[in-house]
Amino acid sequence: MTWLVPLPVVVPLLGAALTLMMARRPTAQRTVSLTALAATLAVSAMLLALTVTEGPQVVAVGGWPPPLGIVLIADKLAALMLVVSTAVTLCVLVYSIGQGAADGDTETPLSVYHPTYLALTAGVTNAFLSGDLFNLYVGFEVLLVASYVLLTLGSTENRIRAGTTYVVVSLLSSVIFLSALGLVYAATGTLNMAQLAGRFDALPDNLRLLLQGMLLLAFGIKAAVFPLGAWLPDSYPTAPAPVTAVFAGLLTKVGVYAVIRTETLLFPDGRIGDVLLVVSLLTMVVGILGAVAQSDVKRLLSFTLISHIGYMLFGVALASEAGLSGAIFYIAHHITIQTTLFLAAGLMERRGGSTALDRLGGLGRLAPVLAVLFFIPALNLAGIPPFSGFLGKLGLLQAGVDDAGPLAWAVVAGGVVTSLLTLYAIGRVWNLAFWRTPHPDMPTAADEADGSTVLLPKLMLAPTFALVAFGIALTVVAGPLFDLTSEAAGDLLLRTPYIEAVFPDGAP
Amino acid sequence: MTPNLVYVIVVGVLVGAGVSLLLERTLTRIIIGVVLIGNGVNVLILMGGAFGAPPIVGDGPDADLSDPLPQAMILTAIVITLGITAFLLAMAYRSWQLLGHDEVQDDDEDTRIIGLADRDEGPRAKEDDAEDLPNPVYSCEPGKERR
Amino acid sequence: MAMLAPALVRALGPKALYVVALVPAATVAWAVAQTGTVRSGGAVAETVAWVPRLGLELAFRMDAFPWVMVLLVGGVGALVLAYSAHYFSPGEDGLGRFAAVFCAFAGAMFGLVVADDLLLLYVFWELTSVFSYLLIGHDPAKGASRWAAMQALLVTTFGGLGMLTGFIMLGEHAGTYRLSEVAADLPGGAYLVVALVLVLLGALSKSAVFPFSFWLPSAMAAPTPVSAYLHAAAMVKAGVFLIGMLTPAFAADPPWQQVIWACGALTFLFGGWTALRQTDLKLMLAYGTVSQLGMIAIVLGAGTRTAALAGAALLAGHALFKAALFLVVGIVDKTTGTREIYSLSGLGARRPVLAAVAVTAVASMIGFPPTLGFVAKEAMLAAFWDGGPWSRAMLAVLVAGSALTVGYGLRFLWGAFARKPEVDDCGFAPVGAGFVAAPVLLALTGLAAGLLAPGVDGLLSPYAEAYPATGHDYHLGLWHGFTPALGFSAVALATGAGIYLATRRTSAWRSVQLPVKSGTVYKGLLGGVDRLAVELTGRTQRGSLPFYLGVILVTLVLFAGGVLVFAGPWPVGLKPFDTPLQLAAGGIIVAAAVAAATAKRRLTAMVLTGVSGYGVASLFIFHGAPDLALTQFLVETVTIVMFVLVLRRLPAGFSERPLKKVRRFRVAIGVAVGVVAAGMAYVAVGGRTAEPVSVDFPELAVSYGGGHNIVNVILVDIRAWDTMGEIAVLLVAATGVASLIFGRDRLMHRRGGSRPAPPATGEHVTWLSRPESDGSHQAIILQVVTRLLFHTIVLFSIYLLFTGHNHPGGGFAGGLVAGLALAIRYLAGGRAELNAAAPVDAGKLLGTGLLVSVGTGAASMLLGGRVLQSAVLDFDLPVVGHVHFVTSTCFDIGVYLIVVGLVLDILRSLGAEIDRHRESDALPLPEKEAA
Repeated sequence: MTWLVPLPVVVPLLGAALTLMMARRPTAQRTVSLTALAATLAVSAMLLALTVTEGPQVVAVGGWPPPLGIVLIADKLAALMLVVSTAVTLCVLVYSIGQGAADGDTETPLSVYHPTYLALTAGVTNAFLSGDLFNLYVGFEVLLVASYVLLTLGSTENRIRAGTTYVVVSLLSSVIFLSALGLVYAATGTLNMAQLAGRFDALPDNLRLLLQGMLLLAFGIKAAVFPLGAWLPDSYPTAPAPVTAVFAGLLTKVGVYAVIRTETLLFPDGRIGDVLLVVSLLTMVVGILGAVAQSDVKRLLSFTLISHIGYMLFGVALASEAGLSGAIFYIAHHITIQTTLFLAAGLMERRGGSTALDRLGGLGRLAPVLAVLFFIPALNLAGIPPFSGFLGKLGLLQAGVDDAGPLAWAVVAGGVVTSLLTLYAIGRVWNLAFWRTPHPDMPTAADEADGSTVLLPKLMLAPTFALVAFGIALTVVAGPLFDLTSEAAGDLLLRTPYIEAVFPDGAP
Repeated sequence: MTPNLVYVIVVGVLVGAGVSLLLERTLTRIIIGVVLIGNGVNVLILMGGAFGAPPIVGDGPDADLSDPLPQAMILTAIVITLGITAFLLAMAYRSWQLLGHDEVQDDDEDTRIIGLADRDEGPRAKEDDAEDLPNPVYSCEPGKERR
Repeated sequence: MAMLAPALVRALGPKALYVVALVPAATVAWAVAQTGTVRSGGAVAETVAWVPRLGLELAFRMDAFPWVMVLLVGGVGALVLAYSAHYFSPGEDGLGRFAAVFCAFAGAMFGLVVADDLLLLYVFWELTSVFSYLLIGHDPAKGASRWAAMQALLVTTFGGLGMLTGFIMLGEHAGTYRLSEVAADLPGGAYLVVALVLVLLGALSKSAVFPFSFWLPSAMAAPTPVSAYLHAAAMVKAGVFLIGMLTPAFAADPPWQQVIWACGALTFLFGGWTALRQTDLKLMLAYGTVSQLGMIAIVLGAGTRTAALAGAALLAGHALFKAALFLVVGIVDKTTGTREIYSLSGLGARRPVLAAVAVTAVASMIGFPPTLGFVAKEAMLAAFWDGGPWSRAMLAVLVAGSALTVGYGLRFLWGAFARKPEVDDCGFAPVGAGFVAAPVLLALTGLAAGLLAPGVDGLLSPYAEAYPATGHDYHLGLWHGFTPALGFSAVALATGAGIYLATRRTSAWRSVQLPVKSGTVYKGLLGGVDRLAVELTGRTQRGSLPFYLGVILVTLVLFAGGVLVFAGPWPVGLKPFDTPLQLAAGGIIVAAAVAAATAKRRLTAMVLTGVSGYGVASLFIFHGAPDLALTQFLVETVTIVMFVLVLRRLPAGFSERPLKKVRRFRVAIGVAVGVVAAGMAYVAVGGRTAEPVSVDFPELAVSYGGGHNIVNVILVDIRAWDTMGEIAVLLVAATGVASLIFGRDRLMHRRGGSRPAPPATGEHVTWLSRPESDGSHQAIILQVVTRLLFHTIVLFSIYLLFTGHNHPGGGFAGGLVAGLALAIRYLAGGRAELNAAAPVDAGKLLGTGLLVSVGTGAASMLLGGRVLQSAVLDFDLPVVGHVHFVTSTCFDIGVYLIVVGLVLDILRSLGAEIDRHRESDALPLPEKEAA
C-alpha cells in the first residue's frame, strides 16, 4: 500500500494544474478542488490506519534506493498531522467558497485562489511526508510562495504592506534554511534524514551544534517563537478570513513539526533543551500579554496563536515521551481550534461589520448560533475542561512536573498563568462583542432583508460548525488519541522505527 | 575537504552586501539584497561539492567529476529565487501604484499600541462600564426591580 | 436535558422550569434509593475509562459526605427551579438560556461531588465556574453584571488552576489520581507544602474565603434564584466540600490546617461584620454566606471526628436556611420592588407566612433551638472545646463570629419585616402559593432536621468514621445536658442580641470600614496586567520590518558567531583557489556586490547586481558546472529584463538615506552576518569526512537513469520530486504576479480569470522607454529582425530540452531560452508582438506543464512502478532512425512548458499590463517621476 504515500502531494498538485487550466469556469474549479481535497483527506486517513497497523510507510521516489533518491515516509506523527491538516483545509475551502459566493467574488480572483490554495496544501503535506532535508525545504517553499500569493489577494494597500513584511521575513528564514542545508551537505555529504541521523552522531559536537542552531533558527521563524515571531500578528490578520484561518492553523505548525522531527531524529541529545525551555516560556508569556493588549479580535487571536506555540515547544523541550506526546496532541488540538476561532472571527466581521472590539457588541443576542460557534472553541482554547485544550495542557503540565527541573517548574507556572490570561483575553472578547449592547454602526437584519447581502451564509456556518464538532470530537476520542500520540512520541525518541523503515538493513 | 578561500570570501561579501540591503526600507533595495544573498548561498552550497570536470559521464574518469548533487540543489534554488524575485518586483510595482513609492511602512495597529505604552495607558477596548461598580459593596438604587 | 431546556421554555414559558426541575429531583430520588448502602458506611462507585494515559478516568464514588451534597444539590436545585417558574415573568429575555445553563450547572455540580478522580473533579469544578459566569451575566446589558461575571470567573479559575497544579503534583507523585487512593503515598517536605497550598488556593477561592471573598458579593448581580442556588447552596460549597473530603488525609500535614484556620477565622469575623453593615438585604445575606463559609471551613478543617460531624451538619444546615432566605428576599424584591431595609416597612404584618419562613430560617442560622443550625453549632462548640490550645483559640473566634451572626440575623428580620416608624409601609403585589412553596419547604426541612437530630446523626456519622474514634463518640442531638457547648451557645446568642440592639441605637458604627479590601487588590492586579501587556507589547511589537529582520539576524550572529568563536577547535587548512580563474571571477563578484550595495540609483544597483550574478555564473563554469552556469546566465538575464520592466515606472533614484546611526548599524549587521556565513561555510566544509552519496551517481545515472548528464538526471529522475515541487513554486509565483498586477482589474472578474486573453493584435505598439515613441520605424526594423531570430531561438531551446539528458541543457535552460525569445519579441514590438508570438494564455501553459510533469509521475505509478519512476525505451523509427527515449524526458517537457509559461506571464503582467496602466494614466512618465 506504499503507493498511497505520494498521493497527498500529487493529488492537490494535479488539482492545482486543472483549476489553473479551467480559469474561466469557477464551478468546475470548485468541484475539482473539493474533490482533490476530499480525496487527499481519504488517503491521509488510510495512511494513518496503515501506520498504526503496519508501522511507517516508506516510498523511494523514482525507485532510487535511499540514500540516493528522495524518500517519502509517513510515520504515526506525519500521518496524524496529515489527517488533521487536510480535514481543516477542506473545511476552510468550503468556508471560503461560501464567503466568495457571498462576496460576489470581488475579493478573491478564483483562478488565483484555487490553484494557489491547492498548492499550499501540497506544500504542507509534502513537508509532513518528506524524508529528505532538501525536499523539506522545497515543501516549505511551495507552501510559502502559495501563502505569499494568498496573503496579498486583491492586493489592497493593507495587504501589500503586511505582505511585504511577511514575504521578506519568510524569505530570510528560507535563506537561513537553505544555507543550513548547504552546510549540512558540506559537512555530511547526504540529505537523507535517516542517514543524516547516523552521520550527525559522527560529527564533532561544535559543528553539530552549529548546524542544529541554524536549522532551529530557520524553523523558529516559521513557527513564530519568541523573539522571531513578531512578524506574525502584523501580517496574518490582514488576509481574508479563510486565508488567515488556514495560515494560523497550518503554517506555524509545519514549523513546529519540523522542529520536532529534526530535534528528535537528528539531534537526540537534548543539549539545548534548557534554551528551548526558556524560549517556550517567553513565547507563552510575551505572546499572551500581547493578546491582552490588543483591541481587535483577529490580532488578539494571532497573539494567542503565538503564545500557544510555546506550549508545543515546551513539550519538545522536555524531550520526554510524555512531553512529546502532549506536544503532538496539542498541535492537533491547536490546528483545529485556532482555525475555528479565525473562521468564527470572519463570521463576526460579516455580522458585526468589523473585528475591532470597540465597534462590536450584542452579537450574543443578534446571532446566537455564531455565539455558540465562538464560545465553545474559545473555552477550548483557554484550556477549560473537558475540552481538548485542557487535555493537551494537562498532558504537558504532567510532563513538566515529572521533569521537575527548576526551568521546567518555571514553564509549568508560566503555562498556568498563560492559560489564565488566555481566558481573560478571550473572556473580554465575549463580554464586549457578544454581551455588551450592540454598536450603532453594526449592520442590522434590515440590511439583510433587502436581499443585497447575506449576513451569515449557510456555506460559511456549516464548515465552522463542522470544525467546532471536530474539536469536540478530539475530546471524546482523547483516550485512543493520546495512546497514538504517546506511541508516536515513543517512536520518535527511539529513532530506530524511522531509520529501519528507510534502511531495513542498517543505514549506510 | 579543504575549503577554498575565494569561495569563502565571495560567500561572505555577497551575503554581507545582501543583508545590509535587506535591512533597507526601499523594496527595490530589499529585492536586490535578496538576489545577492541568494547568489551567496548558492556559492556556499557549491563549496559542499568537490571541484572537478563537468559531471557528464564519458568525458573522463568518473572520479574526476565535480559533485553533481550540490549543482542540482543550486539549480533548484536559482529557479525558485527567480520566481520569488518576479513576485517581489510585482509587489514593488503594486506598492508604487497604490502609494506612489515602494517604501515599507510600519504597522498602524502596533504604532497605536506603542503610543498607548508611551502615554502609560491600558488597552483601548476593555470593560469600560466596570467603574460603575463600587467594590466591594454592590449597591443599587431602591424603588425599581433588580436582580 | 440542558439541550432541550430552551425548546421547552419556548413552548411552555416559565412553567417549563417545573419540567426542568424534574431533573435534579430525579437525582434526589436516586440518592434516596442509595440511602441503605451509604448509611452502612458503604459507597456507590462507577468507573469508565477516558484518558488512561493522563490518569483521567470517569471515576465516581458516593459515600456519606457526597451523598449529603447530592441531596442538597438535587433538592435545593429542584426547589429553586420550581421557584424560578414564578420568579421570572413570561416575557423574560434569555429564559431559555437560563434554564439550560441552570440545569447544566446542576449536572456539573452533581458530577463534582461524586467525582472520585482528582482530575475529573477539576473538570466539573471548572464547568461550574463557567456556568456561574454565564448565570451571573444573565443580564449582560449591565456593565456591573459583565464585570461581576468576569471577576467571578477569573478568581475561581485562578484558584482552580492552582488546585489543578497541586493535584498534578500529588497525582504524579502517588502515581494515581484517585481521591480515595492518592493519600496513600504522600510526598514530603517543600513539595508537599507547595502542593497543599496550591490545592487550598482552589478550595478557598471557590468558597469565597479570605482573601478571595470579594467576588461573591459582586456576583449578587445575578438573578436571585441563581444567588440562592450557586452562591449559597451549591457552588460555593464546593470549596468547603473539597476541604471536608481531603482533611482526613492532610489534617496532620502543615500547613493544611493552619492556612484553613487562619483564612477561615478572618473570613468568619470580617464577613459577619460587613454583613452587619449592609442595608441591602441581598448583600447582607451574601456577606453572611461569606462569613458562614469561613466558619464551615474552620470546622471541616479541624480533622476530628466530632468536628467532621459538626461540619457536615453545618454545611447541610447552611444550604437549607441560606437558600430559603435568598428566596424570601427574592419574593420581597419582586413584590415590593426594593431590598433596602430603610425603604421596607410593615411587611411582617402583611405577609405572616413569609415572615414565619424567614424567622425559622434565621433561627437555624443563628443556632437557635430546636433547629438543625443549633444542633450543628452545639457539636461544633463541643468539638473545639475538646481540642488543644489552638482549637480553644479557634473556639473563641467561633463564639465571637456566632455572635456577629446573631447580630445581623436579627437585623435582617427587623430590616425586612419590622414596621419602621420613620418609613411608611410599602405596597406590594400579591404572592402566589407556588412562589412561597420553595422557601417554606426549605425552612421546614431545616427545622425538622433539628428535631430529628439522631436520625441525621445516623446519616452523617459514616463520614465522621473517617477519623479515629475518640473515647466517647459525640452524637448530634438537641440536648446533651448542661455542657460548656450549651453555655457558649447562650453567650453567643446573648452577645448577638446585644449587638443587634446596639445597631438599632446608633449608626455611627456603620462607618467602621474593613482594613482589607481584596476587591481593590484584584482591580489593581487586573489593571497592572493590562499596563504590563501594553508596555511589553509596545517594546517587542515595533511593527517595523527592518526591526524584525534585525532581531532575527542579531540572534543568528550571536548564536553562530558565539559557537564559531568559543566552541573551537575547528579544522585548519585552506587552499587559496582551485584555478586562478576563480580568483578573477571572485574579484569581479566582490567589487560588483559592494558597489551594488552602495549604489544611489535603482538602475545602477540593478546592473551591478547583474554583473555579480554573471560573475557567479562564471565561477560555476570554472568549478565544473556547465548546466549551472548556463541556467545562471539565463536567469540573470531574465531577472534583468524583469527589473527593467518594473524600474521604468519607479523613480530613478532611491529615497534619501535615513540617519547615519541607523545606516552604520545596518552595515554592521551586514558585515557581521557576512563574516559568520563565511566562517560557517569554512568550518562545515572543513568538517567533512564521510563520502558524499553522489559517488555512485555517475554509473547509476547511465545504467538506471538512462542519461549521461548527471545533473539533469538528478533533476528529472533521481530528485525529480524536488523538481516537481520547484515547478509548483514557479507556477504559484506566476499566478501571484498576475494576481498582483491585475488585482485591480474589473475585467478579470467578468472573465472569471486573472489573466487577460491575448488581445487582438495590430493595436498601438509601444516602445519600452517612452509611451508615444518617436522612433517607431526603428521599432519596425527591430521587429523584423527579431521575427527572423525568434524561430531559430525557439528551435534551439527545444534542442536544449531534448539533449539535456546527455549534454548541458534540459527543461529549465530550454524554457528560459524560449522565454527570452518571447522577451525579445516583446521588447521589440510591445504586447502586440508578444501576443503574435505566443497566442496562448499563460495560465493554460503553466497548468499543462504541471499536468504533464506530475502526470508522468502518476502514470509511472499506474504502470506499477514507483511514483516518478522512469523507463528507457530504445526503438527505431523510419526517417529518424534509432531513438533513445527516456520517459523522464516527458517530465522535462513539463518543466519546459512551465518555465515558458512563467516568463510569458511575467511579460504579460510586468510588461503588457503595465503598459496599459501607463497609457491609462493621465500624466506622462517624466512628470510622474518628478512628482
